[in-house]
Amino acid sequence: MLTLLDKTKKNIILEYCSERFGINDNEFTDYKWYIGSKNRIYIGPEEIERINAESIGLCIFRLDKTPKPTTNFIQLFGGKIKKNIVELDKKNTMAFCNGLNLEIETNNEPGFVSVNYNQIALGCGHWNGKILKNQIPKSKFCKINFL
Amino acid sequence: MANFQTVQDRIAERYSEIIDEPADFIKSINKPLKQSFRINTIKGKKEEIVNKIRDYDSNIKNVKWCDNAFISNLTNLGSSIEHFSGQIYIQELTSMIPPIIVQDLLQKNRIIDCCAAPGSKTTQIANIMENKGHIIANDSRHARIKSLRGNLDRLGITNTTVTLRDFQSFPNTDAEVYFVDAPCSSEGTVRKKNAVTRKWKEKDYERFNKIQKGLLKKACQMSPIGSTVVYSTCTFAPEENEDVVNSIINEENMELKKISLNGMKMGKGITNWKKTEYDGNVEKCARIWPHHNDTGGFFIARMEKC
Repeated sequence: MLTLLDKTKKNIILEYCSERFGINDNEFTDYKWYIGSKNRIYIGPEEIERINAESIGLCIFRLDKTPKPTTNFIQLFGGKIKKNIVELDKKNTMAFCNGLNLEIETNNEPGFVSVNYNQIALGCGHWNGKILKNQIPKSKFCKINFL
Repeated sequence: MANFQTVQDRIAERYSEIIDEPADFIKSINKPLKQSFRINTIKGKKEEIVNKIRDYDSNIKNVKWCDNAFISNLTNLGSSIEHFSGQIYIQELTSMIPPIIVQDLLQKNRIIDCCAAPGSKTTQIANIMENKGHIIANDSRHARIKSLRGNLDRLGITNTTVTLRDFQSFPNTDAEVYFVDAPCSSEGTVRKKNAVTRKWKEKDYERFNKIQKGLLKKACQMSPIGSTVVYSTCTFAPEENEDVVNSIINEENMELKKISLNGMKMGKGITNWKKTEYDGNVEKCARIWPHHNDTGGFFIARMEKC
């Protein structure tokens, strides 16, 4: 069951997107915002009441104490992300898509990052200063053969 | 002797009277289908995505009747980085036809996909709509909704509402276009790897016919005047195609429209099957025969509510 997201929570996410990833608010003007179970945040079309929707739009964040971007979000808005990007090589890309954490070096500030390969946004990672922790959902793990 | 008959033999025998070139047809349905895919331009520019794929598969070929569709010699594109990131969707070519023939009607409107899972057409429609407007993607089975949801997520689709219900009990909802890609005996997928190759009995066609008529009737009843209903199946069986359309067009005041697609050879709908005559307008339906375009088999009808 989704309900419309209140303005305060929406602003927390917009602010996070701007500060963490440099994404402009204008990128989100066409969407209705919803909140569902486990504080999942969705963007999508206008709700039609009578049809009992299973889901509306796309889950882009979880909003617990702090906002956590989903891999859906990173993959869709990857082209608009201007900072906190980790670019992987071939070997690490294969490992990351297969669900592994990586020991890499990067200059990014600790927090959630967009993990990319060859300008393709692969998904969400969490950089703690030492390890890039994989945030891709298990159901999406994949052994990549072609890249 | 009948016990040793393959599914392909049985199909060729059953439809021998309505196939134009039986020898070519038999040859074609015994040949495996090449993998085809569609570029999801919601996730990137077509040229850039295609160029990256060409790095490991230089032989991909553009399909002449669909700008975004390609054929590959590889069999496991599902393990490519482009598939992982939602930049491509592996889809049988014929299944791309229904959204293409009405693409001018899709912009920013409300669309209902009555039998949406696993989401091939829904994601294609969303791509044509540039993720704007509103798609209601319905399916009646929970397990199939999961695969639909997974594909919508992977391709970054934001303009879709997913519903889980038997479409025949769906609340009346106005839309510009209704897609009824009905469950069917799937004979047209016989060339696909892992195809469901069951030998259907005559009573199975009757069973599908009943389900299909129910779905199409509901979509036609729900559709406002001037809106469009696209009915499709991936089977050769007239019981599931022309017979279904024939029974609905007069009952529900629907006008059949001619279908054409530049670069694709299409057969006409048939007007006579097993001593049953259909309305002459049923010829406006399109039959996609495997030997005409090196694809699977498919059937499409485009109707407008009067």
